[in-house]
Amino acid sequence: MNELSASSRITYRAVMVRPGVARRIRGLSDRTLAWLFITPTIVLLLAINIFPLLWTIYLSFTNYRANRANVPTIWLGADWYQSILTDPDIWAAMQVTAHFVIWTVVIETVLGFGLAYLIDKKFRGHGMWTTIILLPMMLSPAVVGNFWTFLYQPQIGLFNYVVAFFTGRAASSFQMLGDVTLSPWAIVIVDAWMWTPYVMLICLAGLRSIPDYIYEAAEVDRASKWRQFWSITLPMALPFIMLAVLFRGIENFKMFDMVNLLTGGGPGSTTEVASITLKRAAFESWRTGYSSAFAIILFVTVFGLANIYVKALNKVKSR
Amino acid sequence: MTSATTAHSVVEPSTTTRRFAGTLVVLYAIITMIPLVWIMLTAFKSPDDAISYPPKVMFKPSLEGFCNLFTTRSRQTPEFIRSLGPPQGLCDDIARSRNMVVAGPSNYVPRFVNSLIIAFGSTVLAVALGTLSAYGFSRFRVPLKDDLLFFILSTRMMPPIAVAIPIYLMYRTIGLSDTRLGMILLYTSVNVSLAVWLLKGFIDEIPREYEEAAMIDGYTRFQAFVKVVLPQATTGIAATAIFCLIFAWNEYAFAVLLTSGNAQTAPPFIPIIIGEGGQDWPAVAAGTTLFLVPIVVFTVLLRKHLLRGITFGAVRK
Amino acid sequence: MSIDATPSIARRGLADRLLRRGPLEAIATTIIAVGVVMLMQPLSLTLYSWSFATTLFGTVMFTIVSKVRE
Repeated sequence: MNELSASSRITYRAVMVRPGVARRIRGLSDRTLAWLFITPTIVLLLAINIFPLLWTIYLSFTNYRANRANVPTIWLGADWYQSILTDPDIWAAMQVTAHFVIWTVVIETVLGFGLAYLIDKKFRGHGMWTTIILLPMMLSPAVVGNFWTFLYQPQIGLFNYVVAFFTGRAASSFQMLGDVTLSPWAIVIVDAWMWTPYVMLICLAGLRSIPDYIYEAAEVDRASKWRQFWSITLPMALPFIMLAVLFRGIENFKMFDMVNLLTGGGPGSTTEVASITLKRAAFESWRTGYSSAFAIILFVTVFGLANIYVKALNKVKSR
Repeated sequence: MTSATTAHSVVEPSTTTRRFAGTLVVLYAIITMIPLVWIMLTAFKSPDDAISYPPKVMFKPSLEGFCNLFTTRSRQTPEFIRSLGPPQGLCDDIARSRNMVVAGPSNYVPRFVNSLIIAFGSTVLAVALGTLSAYGFSRFRVPLKDDLLFFILSTRMMPPIAVAIPIYLMYRTIGLSDTRLGMILLYTSVNVSLAVWLLKGFIDEIPREYEEAAMIDGYTRFQAFVKVVLPQATTGIAATAIFCLIFAWNEYAFAVLLTSGNAQTAPPFIPIIIGEGGQDWPAVAAGTTLFLVPIVVFTVLLRKHLLRGITFGAVRK
Repeated sequence: MSIDATPSIARRGLADRLLRRGPLEAIATTIIAVGVVMLMQPLSLTLYSWSFATTLFGTVMFTIVSKVRE
């Protein structure tokens, strides 16, 4: 209470003072202070993000190997880029990534938007149920991946039991994580379970940003509910949906932790998404130069998408 | 964004629609909770119950999972066990019933402590740096402001493995590999971007007039920041801190690639809890449960600010 | 009272900027998107080989175009 009254007293006085005086007092050290406030963050990011990035760019042109630091470093030019961009195995890894990204984004968007649409009907207790639905996305992807391996166990896992219960197949007759055709879907299921709430939350904000008077006007014009959905609800929520789609797309493009624990890229390389290929090259075969080049390729892609994401972010912000 | 009237006044959904929507959402919520509840149940099962078929919903609760999580055990002959004195504590008792004796504490507690230290350390740093920068970006005219803000955000978008390669080399050179300080600095750099964006949103909402009036009362700009802005931004700072805490707590990729023993956190450790003959599921589930409970509590505390957090402060509801 | 430019000027500046920047940014965005699709499409190895160059070009263009102010 005390603070409140003090600040309101201050506000009152501010109105009374001539602007010229205020500007003179303010102008004194603002410039210095601005740099003082911002520099530490920038310095930290330069040291931990930008310097390493520049180093990666340098390494990507060399034959450096982290486990053989004494071998003289040779400048190779763009050789690694050329070999990565013509390598059918890496291309295959990109397609595995594409399968993962496309299906997770499609499923999460459909489910997430559907849920948001239902929650926006404001049934009793929707606040509590929304919080419950949101829980999975706050958990650690690594720990989630790990406990889903338990649910996916062929004989003892709950997932197999439930599928067996509804389809009548034997629970031990299929292996979600060990089967070449099923494992790409196993990682999609876990990701959808975890991140549908994320899309739902953003779509919900989009739906709630649509002002009532538009629906009221549509109602006056006797537009059907179906028509209202396609010409009001969906177009007006679209920037929000795009925001969610872009962010999930970027995040899943670089997905590592969950997939690493669920399948580790296997069986074979059927679930080897780009980040896992990169990890194998960088931290298992120690081809540092080669993996640096691959890292830069992934980084540029993410950076390009991040530009679009921030554009989408500003679009939503202005609403 | 609409603020006051979110309910569709004329076009209120009918009671039937609401019930129908409610039923579907509740159904989804229950299905989505099953995996979580199952893990928490497994934590209290005995190893035999955990791997029984069909899966057991009703079972006799056991603390064996937690005991196995916190201790290491060694198998002994029944003669040797009989020659020992009475069992010390519950875990010893359980171990002896399986012809084992407790050999010592496991690594779970040190890993958990590492998680706590690294998460709190990086959160404090990130929020402190973030508050200063957010205030700077919010109140002052900074050259290239938009570019700096984008640069700050883009650092968070980088693929962790791509960042880990040079960080690994850099830390190896300057002796920060597998140290808590190294992990704290790394997590701070990732979290600071979120902190700046989120806090800028919160600080933007505090009217400038407050500080300006305080400065007319004789405060310097810095005093006004400390005594007027900071108290007003408490909620925002707390919400940001929880977001940073959750990120650092959950992080796996850097932790598994850059730490091995000394500074290893819980996420890379939990999956490698192995019992005799494969994974000790009750122990893994117990470790997971203990690890997830703080997140569940924080999520409930944070529910009003979740939307802001996941959109870097852009969508404010 | 604010330190930044007055709101009316800011609004006019924004409109101007959108008029000039809009189409260019849209082109850059499309190029980035095409590059990403090329990277992950399963049809042609040649397209995959040129994906990185395309994305890089789009990103550089986007960065430059976003500097085009007045």
